[in-house]
Amino acid sequence: MNLIDRYIDEVGRHLPEKERSDIEAEIRSMIEDMLEERGQQSKSADEKIIAETLEELGDPKLLAYKYSPAKRYLIGPDWYDLYLTTLKRVLSTALPIVAMVAFVLVFANDPLDFGRAIERALGSLFNVGTGILFWVTVAFVIVEHSGADVKEMGVSKSKAWTVAQLPKTPAKRQISVSEVLTNIVFYSLFVAWIVLPPFTAWLRGDESFIPVFHPDLWNVWFPIFAVIAILTLIIEIFKLKIGNWTTALTVSNVLLCLGTIIAIVVLITTQEVFNPAFLATILQNAPTEELRNVATTAKWTVNIGAAITIGICIWDMLDSIIKSRRLVK
Amino acid sequence: MDNEELVQNMLLELRRGILSLAVLSQLSKEQYGYSLLKALSDQGMEIDQSTLYPLLRRLESQGLLQSDWRIVDEARPRRYYVISAQGKAVLTKLKREWSAMTATMTQMLS
Repeated sequence: MNLIDRYIDEVGRHLPEKERSDIEAEIRSMIEDMLEERGQQSKSADEKIIAETLEELGDPKLLAYKYSPAKRYLIGPDWYDLYLTTLKRVLSTALPIVAMVAFVLVFANDPLDFGRAIERALGSLFNVGTGILFWVTVAFVIVEHSGADVKEMGVSKSKAWTVAQLPKTPAKRQISVSEVLTNIVFYSLFVAWIVLPPFTAWLRGDESFIPVFHPDLWNVWFPIFAVIAILTLIIEIFKLKIGNWTTALTVSNVLLCLGTIIAIVVLITTQEVFNPAFLATILQNAPTEELRNVATTAKWTVNIGAAITIGICIWDMLDSIIKSRRLVK
Repeated sequence: MDNEELVQNMLLELRRGILSLAVLSQLSKEQYGYSLLKALSDQGMEIDQSTLYPLLRRLESQGLLQSDWRIVDEARPRRYYVISAQGKAVLTKLKREWSAMTATMTQMLS
């Protein structure tokens, strides 16, 4: 009897609470029937025969699962596609915004602390990202197990699909929404990084504030780069709207990239970029003698920064040209 | 997967499909789990206890069967199943559809 009790107990552990005792009784009855079939009774039967009978029934866990309703998925095939699509859309729109906000918040307080700004941005990306992942998943798990009907909730409200519902243009666009948004975020941050500190200092009436860039640059160069920034933003907006590298878009992009490269090159070859006063304060505590040589450090930083920026521009240009040729095919 | 295994898998799928219909057809008179199992097996339909018992439960929850714990002939208590009124109506419809389907299949397979 002990073997049977243990078996039934094991099955019961995997049964839904509500029906457990009922199903257990049924299984006990079933085992009795099987033993009778062999001319035995549970209270007198040989251990070996009982064991054989139970083994015929198989793994108690699997037996229990046969009694439970069909839904063993967390998110079943009905809902899985919609779940993935939703997740992708939400993450790709929310995360750039979150990064931007986190960045700006740190910058508004302390423009020099680039490191902390990045740290904050990454931290909030991670937090918000996991939060979104979790709640979207939970929502879909609930929907799956509440037995909602895909068609009702859905993606299409009409009763029967007609050809009119086919998308008019190919669904796959070359320039993804998240790519554009990320670009916009970074450009805005860059502009903010340059413009905000002197501006807020001016607002505060802060006489002791030392601007990063050379004061001579203000009258001519800043407007030039302001125009470039604005044009870049406009192109980003068009990228968002058009979605593919059309000829017009590609040409504008190439022109803008070339213009940026030229502007940067001219700037660093003819001008002092950094404000000497700024450099002096920062480098006072520099670790080595070489770094304390203000002039060389400044040149070094400027050149590296320019090189990186130019590299990005060139890549961007080539990328748009390549993709536009793919489109023509 | 070799042919024999493939054949067995597909047969399993086929049998799973007709199981409910087979069970409904045998419960015009009340039976308990094991007697039903024997009845089906005697007519050529082999089935596992661990498949049959949950199926009976499911059919009952769908309203097609009724069940009762009963003592019959001084035996120990058993759960007896019998087809319900709704079950009878569904069975009639299914039988009609079945005839149509087998006619089609017979033709396709000839």
